[in-house]
Amino acid sequence: MELLITVCFLFLFCTISYFYKRFSQMRSHSCYMLAYECFKATDDRKLDTESCVKIVLRNKNLGLDQYRFLLQTMVNSGLGEETYGPRNVLAGREETPTLMEAHEEMDEIMFGTLDNLFSKTGVSPSHIDILVVDVSLFSPFPSLTARIVNRYKMRENIKSFSLSGMGCSASMVAIDLVQNLFKSYKNAFAVVVSSETIGPHWYCGKENSMMLSNCLFRSGGCSVLLTNKPCLKHKALMKLKHSVRTNIGSNDEAYGCCIQIEDQQGYNGFLLTRNLTKAAAKAFTMNLKVLVPKILPIRELIRFAVISICKTNNKTAKPSLNLKTGIQHFCIHPGGRAVIDGLGKSLGLNEYDMEPARMALHRFGNTSAGGLWYVLGYMEAKKRLKKDDKILMISLGAGFMCNNCVWEVMKDLGNGNVWEHCMDRYPIPRKNTINPFADKYSWINDERLNFVRMDLSNIILS
Amino acid sequence: MPPASPDFSSSVKLKYVKLGYQYVVDHFLTLLLVPVMVGILIEVVRLGPKEIVHLWNSLHFDLIQILCSSFFIIFVATVYFMSKPRCIYLVDYACYKPPVTCRVPFATFMEHSRLILSNNPKSVEFQMRILERSGLGEETCLPPAIHYIPPKPTMEASRGEAEVVIFSAMDSLFKKTGLKPKDIDILIVNCSLFSPTPSLSAMVINKYKLRSNIKSFNLSGMGCSAGLISIDLARDLLQVHPNSNAVVVSTEIITPNYYQGKERAMLLPNCLFRMGGAAILLSNRRSERRRAKYRLVHVVRTHKGADDKAYRCVFEEEDKEGKVGISLSKDLMAIAGEALKSNITTIGPLVLPGSEQLLFLLTLIGRKIFNPKWKPYIPDFKLAFEHFCIHAGGRAVIDELQKNLQLSAEHVEASRMTLHRFGNTSSSSLWYEMSYLEAKGMMKKGDRIWQIAFGSGFKCNSAVWKCNRTIKTPTDGPWEDCIHRYPVHIPEVVKL
Repeated sequence: MELLITVCFLFLFCTISYFYKRFSQMRSHSCYMLAYECFKATDDRKLDTESCVKIVLRNKNLGLDQYRFLLQTMVNSGLGEETYGPRNVLAGREETPTLMEAHEEMDEIMFGTLDNLFSKTGVSPSHIDILVVDVSLFSPFPSLTARIVNRYKMRENIKSFSLSGMGCSASMVAIDLVQNLFKSYKNAFAVVVSSETIGPHWYCGKENSMMLSNCLFRSGGCSVLLTNKPCLKHKALMKLKHSVRTNIGSNDEAYGCCIQIEDQQGYNGFLLTRNLTKAAAKAFTMNLKVLVPKILPIRELIRFAVISICKTNNKTAKPSLNLKTGIQHFCIHPGGRAVIDGLGKSLGLNEYDMEPARMALHRFGNTSAGGLWYVLGYMEAKKRLKKDDKILMISLGAGFMCNNCVWEVMKDLGNGNVWEHCMDRYPIPRKNTINPFADKYSWINDERLNFVRMDLSNIILS
Repeated sequence: MPPASPDFSSSVKLKYVKLGYQYVVDHFLTLLLVPVMVGILIEVVRLGPKEIVHLWNSLHFDLIQILCSSFFIIFVATVYFMSKPRCIYLVDYACYKPPVTCRVPFATFMEHSRLILSNNPKSVEFQMRILERSGLGEETCLPPAIHYIPPKPTMEASRGEAEVVIFSAMDSLFKKTGLKPKDIDILIVNCSLFSPTPSLSAMVINKYKLRSNIKSFNLSGMGCSAGLISIDLARDLLQVHPNSNAVVVSTEIITPNYYQGKERAMLLPNCLFRMGGAAILLSNRRSERRRAKYRLVHVVRTHKGADDKAYRCVFEEEDKEGKVGISLSKDLMAIAGEALKSNITTIGPLVLPGSEQLLFLLTLIGRKIFNPKWKPYIPDFKLAFEHFCIHAGGRAVIDELQKNLQLSAEHVEASRMTLHRFGNTSSSSLWYEMSYLEAKGMMKKGDRIWQIAFGSGFKCNSAVWKCNRTIKTPTDGPWEDCIHRYPVHIPEVVKL
């Protein structure tokens, strides 16, 4: 009799725990990506090396040293001849940016990508429940989200958020925000628009560390459509598995390594210091510590633990974690050559893994928050993404933040998207990415020039 | 024909009828249960104790039946408790009190105006007229950079203002609540017109050495109603993360946005916007239940951006000389009224007692079916709330809302006095108003407070709070040194 009672109570306990688990799973709704659309500007906005040189030389503030520095940076930047610049800079008005030009720049990116997104997916703008816009350096009044709501006549009870100042990793912050909101709101559609304004922030002063941004940042952006409707699971491209955010702003060096300031002459610009690589490494390590146990299979974790214990006894080289046991594709933020090389080395990646990031940097430049989506677009256009593959999106940004996401591919992807017209030319071998400028203007590095004062613009432009 | 006699008697009787009717409808379920309970009680008493014991003994309970029924009860209880949304408590909040050195009395403001706009006497005259009718007092404050002639709005000065305002409010909050910086799980900062990179949230993280896995968000460009948007976001995040603390910082940085041109429509915000900020601690921890001041009941957001006129009515643009400022359109009040109507249509069913809802519904049906000429019934929101915190956007906004919602002077006193003492501090003004109510000793346990804010876009957001415990008159806070002087009478026009 007692046995029967015990068995019954056990059964009761099991049933209750099962229901508890089911209920808590139901609570956390999945986040599916239905589509994403990257921005590609018109050809008249291409910023090749010649145009870059013309813009640099327009700046009468610069001396020989600064020219050298700038031109050297451009050679080594990893950017190609087809990145897109803002209209006002191309037209020679970088010293007097206007609010209207900034709005025009943003409208072209936001509305261009959103129009395509809505027509591609067939989702009406009035069905959107959550709208998040992240543009770091431009926050007008009313916000960009209000501008989008006005343009597409969205619903009155829309939940809109305008994130600003959150740097190059703002896109992942927005995705994390949407994932959190999806846990409270069922059957919702969300749109995330990530971009950056380059025009109003073209640096016109002469501080070396502030001129770097002119060499790297280019126009671009992306709109992403997400949903947590279970019935749209079969249409989804990818599913968000994990999202981990790390902010090491508590460290003063990390906070100040990437900061918007006015220089001594009053020119507004973006200061990038040497501490950036150190901060990036630290933030990335901290982030991985939390993310890795979630994404790697148990056998890899056990293997690493066992080897670490053995190796600490032997004191030989540090054991490395093989991330490829859990991740098939690495979507690295195309922040610059140094960033890609640094991350690739620390993760033990080969050229094949780093190719999408390198090629995105070459073709589109550092498009700030929207950069990761160009890398993803490259992977898709190259037909690398197969069902059940896992993609690790790594983003680093001012703050200093490292925000990583892991996506699971839901079906074989192969859309050409924004890479369609140039896919046949890529990948470009490493040696071919050397800037043609290097040969033409290498005489500027001639030491003898230091003693000569001349108006370089006439000489170089002729 | 003799003049119609005043029908006071009939109006008085109607008042009591309405009261009685309200009571019946609001407590309908309770009133229904009473006869049922009375009937059962009579039955039980009639049976007598011996019969009851006999009834109890005759029941046969099988083990399986007991197990099944207890399982069923546990299951239902689990489902109920798990599906309940977490309670969000407002533990405490702190408002920034600007130093006396930043004060801008009317004389100072007009002197500055005359010196800066010396070539435009008409613009100076315009500013004077606005100031006379603004409802602001002599103690409102502007940041140090704006005291220069001409103002010096550098990025460093803007960051300086942000640091002073935000860090003072945060320090005050830490002191009041005993919160440790490492215990903050969620940080949301909203500042409409100034968002440097790294963000203001990163600035707070850097100053207080907050944790690396903090969820931080920096909202910008969302106007004077951004404070409630931040509260809404904090609420959504606290539903997902158990046992967490969220800090919301609402402020507006004036330094970079002081209009330096001469267009009259764009000089208006200069007369109204003043320095201010607030830091609020929200929590979903059960341990905070006892000491929390308020509990968040509802947040309702309404976005009228789809309408072009509404979108353009508060707009940042460049004037003919290329100077950036905010232009306010003449339709602002009408649009605010429309937005408010939409918002209260959503919030009404959530907060109004049953009687008001029924009356509203019946009048609506009557107007649609029987006679469109029936006056629309405006629900009496005074039955749903004890206190009203209307964003101190300007005298016109408060007047308009007082008229639309049929509020008395006491109800809008907190808003008017905040406008007088602190000016329009944008998203943080609601918290100065709450602070006023507490300083006046008006907050009792169970009181319901309605915060309404308008913002560019055009947005109308409201939040409903319930007072968790009777709040003793605080000895600190922004009103501590001047509450004894309030309320003051604010004349229609202050002659300058």
